[in-house]
Amino acid sequence: MNLRLAAEIGRRRSTLLLLLALLVFLIWSIHTVGAAVWAQEDPVEAGHAGPSVAGRLVDPLGEPIHDAEVMAREEGNSQPLAQVTSQTDGSYLLDMPPVPLTAIIIEAFRPHFQPVELSLDTDQMAQLNAGQAIRLEDIELERLITPGFWVATLSFALVLGLIALERLHKTTAALLGAALVLGVSFVGGAINPELFIFDFEQALAYVDFDVIFLVMGMMIVIAVIEETGIFQWLAYQAYRLSRGRLWLLVVILMVITAVASALLDNVTTMLLMAPITIQIALTLGLSPLSLLIPEVLASNVGGISTLIGTPTNILIGSYAGLGFNDFLINLTPGVVVAMLVLIVYVNVRYRKAFAGAGGQLSAAMRERLRESGRITEPVKLRKAGIIFGVMLVLFVTGDSFHLVPAVTAIMGAVAMLLWVAPDVEEMLQVVDWTTLVFFIALFMAVGALEEVGLISMIATSIGDLVGGNLTAAILILVWSAALLSGLIDNIPFAAAMLPVVGYLTRTVPGAESGVLWYALSVGAAMGGNSTLIGSSPNLVTAGISERAGYRITYMEFLKVGLPATILTVIVGTIWLLIRF
Amino acid sequence: MKRILCATRGGEASRRTQDAVIAMAKEEGASILFLFVVDVEFLRLTARGVRPDVVLAEMEHMGEFLLAMACERAEAQGVRAEACLRHGPLINALESAALEEEVDAVAFGRPAGPESTFSLADLESLCQRIEEDTGVKTYIV
Repeated sequence: MNLRLAAEIGRRRSTLLLLLALLVFLIWSIHTVGAAVWAQEDPVEAGHAGPSVAGRLVDPLGEPIHDAEVMAREEGNSQPLAQVTSQTDGSYLLDMPPVPLTAIIIEAFRPHFQPVELSLDTDQMAQLNAGQAIRLEDIELERLITPGFWVATLSFALVLGLIALERLHKTTAALLGAALVLGVSFVGGAINPELFIFDFEQALAYVDFDVIFLVMGMMIVIAVIEETGIFQWLAYQAYRLSRGRLWLLVVILMVITAVASALLDNVTTMLLMAPITIQIALTLGLSPLSLLIPEVLASNVGGISTLIGTPTNILIGSYAGLGFNDFLINLTPGVVVAMLVLIVYVNVRYRKAFAGAGGQLSAAMRERLRESGRITEPVKLRKAGIIFGVMLVLFVTGDSFHLVPAVTAIMGAVAMLLWVAPDVEEMLQVVDWTTLVFFIALFMAVGALEEVGLISMIATSIGDLVGGNLTAAILILVWSAALLSGLIDNIPFAAAMLPVVGYLTRTVPGAESGVLWYALSVGAAMGGNSTLIGSSPNLVTAGISERAGYRITYMEFLKVGLPATILTVIVGTIWLLIRF
Repeated sequence: MKRILCATRGGEASRRTQDAVIAMAKEEGASILFLFVVDVEFLRLTARGVRPDVVLAEMEHMGEFLLAMACERAEAQGVRAEACLRHGPLINALESAALEEEVDAVAFGRPAGPESTFSLADLESLCQRIEEDTGVKTYIV
């Protein structure tokens, strides 16, 4: 290789590694120092030497209202004496001029809320005139349905529809949603202020960068692991160990798929397990669907047991501040029971197919299968295994020293780049930026729904429906999430439900344990088993199977998947009711 | 010796086509070139990080396995068979294989029902297109 070229590659590699290290530092800093800094910036806590009025703005759910205009003026005079914008926590601090004041009106305004005016009483006026600081009770702003509300709502419905009907790629659909709400805010907002939803800075504030970095880090880690041949080797070992006993083969394959989905990613697991599973089935004279469908059911259920197993869990964990251990303790036992039920169901469902299998292939074909099931990169696997083992330890222990999963994932990715797959450009190419952009655009589209108050309305309606009954809340969340996840993409659905579940967690007695977060997780992921379009693993498995000449039809999947969903969701619900 | 190109997969319908093409090859004293087309277009169905190169390699392994099965089937009936694996959309891969592999005929299985890739009308129009583009005779068996 040319020396200049080598030096250039080396320089680029160092730069990229440095950038990654800086990113790690940035995330770490935000999480460890951020809280303290924000606390210092709290204007209410900070106090003020002269007369001042402090307070907090909240919406009907008790959520803080940020970026609202708050103004103090004298009655009969429109000129403001003091004017500020509310902070992230909804707080405001109006520094009043040190002059005798008569009657003061406090006004608060924000798009999509009813403006509020309130007069200070005599005591409060006396305190102000004595140069003291006063603190008002929380001011609640009522929601308004504005034209911007309809823009945000219809944009999100359009995103869901386009994804469900496969008219646009998920990412393009989400970007379209984000572009619509931002475009209408900027262009339409200039014509009619009620069309304004949020500015770009506010839209970015809705993007959960914990999720983005966790997904990105795990993509690099998985990209290294998946090329080692470990999935194929495991599948082949299942074939070898089962020695032709099909009931045992399906059990081992399901367990492997569930565990791999929990620890890595269920789409990757199915993409790599499906081709060799088809070969195993054909070797045994069995329809591949009898193994593929149980595997995909197991992958959807198994993924629920950890924070990193499904995108919905990553979203939930980051939003609700749940750690790896929270999922492990609160969901894994329930998932194990659901898996047992699923294994029994599958063996009963496919008993005739297993009994009718026959026609072993030639020794040459069996040798070819053995070849397909070998570890292709043993050295890489050993190193990647060590790093992934350390990552798991950090995921489990990280909660105790506030190490967020995103940082663990980025550290694991950097370790993979340094030790296992040093071609950083190749590794960064395997990061699916389309997925990351999908998440960013989705966060903005959901953020628009929050801004205009749709989420707040849904939360209030569900809150009214359950009427403070925790069991009813669990049942409604699990089953509605399961039903909707079979019909629409569960990632945007879960993203939109996060603030709703947050509200219910705060308001429903007993929900502070976090049970409703797990209810959303169970429903969203297990519901994906009900239909062929319910989850990504289903679709990619059907794609591979179709290429092999075995089409999984919508109805065929429904016949197996729907009863499996009902059974596992029942188990999941019972587990949540017992556990909490 | 004549050479018949037959695109194949692993399902029941593919096996029926294989049997029909094997019978045809026997009659004509021809050999068969089984073709498997690797197409990972289905990856667009997921918005999750996947490595197309790794998935492609796995699909190739699977294709080679299915081709080997088809070849074994033909050879068990005394017909010489070879395997050919190509990438991309099926029709393009078929046309390029027909031209580059110098085959004398391309054989397709008759659609077996609603689950078939092509309807009979679509298949007939595909055959016509292949004959026009490549000059190779096509058969629906």
